[in-house]
Amino acid sequence: MSADRPSAKQIATFLLVFGGTLAVVLTLGLLLREHGPGNMGNGLLAGAAFGLVLAAVMGWRLVRRPERVTTFERAWSQTGDERDDAVLTRALAVLGLASFPLTAAAAIAVAFGAAVEMCLALLLFAEVGVGALAFAVIARRS
Amino acid sequence: MDNDVRALRAAAGLSQRELAEALSVSRQTVNSIETGRYDPSLPLAIAIARHFARPVEEIFHVG
Repeated sequence: MSADRPSAKQIATFLLVFGGTLAVVLTLGLLLREHGPGNMGNGLLAGAAFGLVLAAVMGWRLVRRPERVTTFERAWSQTGDERDDAVLTRALAVLGLASFPLTAAAAIAVAFGAAVEMCLALLLFAEVGVGALAFAVIARRS
Repeated sequence: MDNDVRALRAAAGLSQRELAEALSVSRQTVNSIETGRYDPSLPLAIAIARHFARPVEEIFHVG
């Protein structure tokens, strides 16, 4: 399955999701840039651009080099097999469980007077880190 | 769960990639099954058994 090139339906779905996400992010980012506090709009646009570039690279690799893609790419693009799906499911389960104490810690920090923006940013980075670490460990062990 | 997939594949003269293509899974999945790090689902186990024309319980066994 993974060695095969993605089907036309999978490519169309990927392009649809990619285009839809791009439209939503651009609209939201421009609205936040005009009406949001500080430089929230620019931050969202920069972060989204980074994510979309990574997604585009992933899509390109799936089409051009299907034999070289990783478990991560197959799992997130829904082009993988049962093991890829199992790894993603288990990694997301770990992230879900970890999100409770992480959110609680952030809430407690805010209650003690920590800057809300900083706590939210650290919470996001911590969750991304936990998710990435969980995926890497589970993919290696299964 | 132990299995004899590696031995059967070697006896058939197949590479991991060739077996993966025959089973419509990734090469990494074949490797994980062979090393015992991943237990396949029942449909995949049956597909492996059919590929090698053996009963499932002859290929996969506990302990």
